[in-house]
Amino acid sequence: MSWKAGVLPAEIVDLDILVATQRDEVGELLIRELQRTRARVRHLWPVPERLPEDADVVFVDLAPGLAARIPWLPGEPKSALVLIIPPFPPPDLELLRNCAPDAVLHRPFTTHAVLTTLVLARSHFGYDRRLRGRVDKLDDTLRAFRNVERAKAILMAKENLREDEAYHFMRRQAMSRRVSLSAVAAAIVDSQQLLG
Amino acid sequence: MTGRPDQTSAPWRVGVLFSSSGFMAVIEETQLRGTLLAIEEINAAGGVNGREIVPRLYDPASEAAAFGHFAKRLMVEDEVTTIFGCYTSSSRKAVLPVVERLNGLLWYPTLYEGFEFSPNIIYTGAAPNQNSVALCRFLMDHYGPRFYFVGSDYVYPRESNRIMRELLRANGGEVAGEVYLDLRCKRRDFLPVMRDIRESAPDVIFSTVVGDATVDLYQSYADARFDPKLLPIASLTTTEAEIRAMGFDVGEGHVTAAPYFECVSGERNSSFVAGYKKRYGADEPTNMCVEAAYFQVHMFAKALGQTNSMDTDILRPMVLGSTFDAPQGRVSINPGCSHADLWTRIGRANRRGQFEVVHQSVNPVLADPYLIGYGRSVLCP
Repeated sequence: MSWKAGVLPAEIVDLDILVATQRDEVGELLIRELQRTRARVRHLWPVPERLPEDADVVFVDLAPGLAARIPWLPGEPKSALVLIIPPFPPPDLELLRNCAPDAVLHRPFTTHAVLTTLVLARSHFGYDRRLRGRVDKLDDTLRAFRNVERAKAILMAKENLREDEAYHFMRRQAMSRRVSLSAVAAAIVDSQQLLG
Repeated sequence: MTGRPDQTSAPWRVGVLFSSSGFMAVIEETQLRGTLLAIEEINAAGGVNGREIVPRLYDPASEAAAFGHFAKRLMVEDEVTTIFGCYTSSSRKAVLPVVERLNGLLWYPTLYEGFEFSPNIIYTGAAPNQNSVALCRFLMDHYGPRFYFVGSDYVYPRESNRIMRELLRANGGEVAGEVYLDLRCKRRDFLPVMRDIRESAPDVIFSTVVGDATVDLYQSYADARFDPKLLPIASLTTTEAEIRAMGFDVGEGHVTAAPYFECVSGERNSSFVAGYKKRYGADEPTNMCVEAAYFQVHMFAKALGQTNSMDTDILRPMVLGSTFDAPQGRVSINPGCSHADLWTRIGRANRRGQFEVVHQSVNPVLADPYLIGYGRSVLCP
């Protein structure tokens, strides 16, 4: 039986989930529980050389060589990552850290553990992505500042404009070309570099 | 399985956080009214996709920390994802980490000092390039280059004054004095300020005083018998609501920059003002904060009608880039920074407590919360 709509948090509704663990009793339980959330679950076994990067969540065994099978760069994940830890041997903690998972699931696990892990991984992944988006935006803003200041200096020197006239020129160009002020400034800086 | 989400008639629940008590109540109460008026209009027209919007209201009583706690309660206990609220920057900064961590959406209908971008906030009040820049130019042209800064002691006044000081300095103006008073200051605390103003003889008093202290500032000014024709108080926050609280005669002649005043012409505004007065009383003025609180709820409802989902990851992309025929004129949410592109207007208060528009932009002004396109220059329109 599936969960009723509205019972599950938004983070785990309508997901594509990849499961790369052995399909024994515990593996079956995992797939069944995930399907109860109405997720579309794909099972891959053995773990492929390169994991696909089109899923919302990846559940995969922590095993030697896993880091190389993860297709994205550390710090730029494409999917929320849950590592499944076998009871033996003791886990390679360094590898665990380097795979940068959003959550872990210890074999054998209960039905509840599957859902709590799923919510935790998705929530952590989403927050991380929002913060990275905010940082990217701030970086863009700083870059724009730098470009505008450099373009202003170029206009003042080459076109003999006052500071306020230089800003005004760039704003007018941006408006008439319907591009951002930063793009106008970057174009001025680039063309200056081309001209030498 | 029955009960697919698009077949339910369950209401859309939203959170509302404005103070009905404490020292910010005068203005925040009007934002609450603007919010509720819009919700009532939407529900009277059949709701959103046949479902009513039901607000969950809390009164944070002008305490910044309480805004954070109520935001948490709204998202965790009331299971709300969208919140309309906040006036002061301190309260917004208290809510920000909560909506960012839990992936909510805060709609913030207040002018502020800029230099912020949260993926979980929609900013519908003016950023500095939409009010401070034009105000500085107007004041220098009409009154003179020496500004005296008086503000409440918190983040917004200090940041606003930092921007205004840069604008002044780049254009040959100067700061004649600068003073900050506690948000809960008393009337008598303005006496030494008036004395200092008389001694330093500025051309303009630039006020970032907010809340109840606004009334004390303007009344102390009137008691000191200054003349607004020669030395006006200029503000980004003094609206029709504060003018009414201080008395029309006390407010007359002072200057405010805002995207909206009650007297803005046009059919859209006439029907908004009429609706507001019908709901809250014939002598209740609208103001920029009411208007932003009002139109942002309509923009929310419009986006919700398209997504039929309150999930922030689905709703927010629909909000970005959307436009709305607001009482102030056509506005849009700038997809680059989630701030609204708004109109710039400068008003001078008359004897009837209304602002007469003495300057207005030709088009909506694109939001530039980091003042990238302005540097330190304001002389060119």
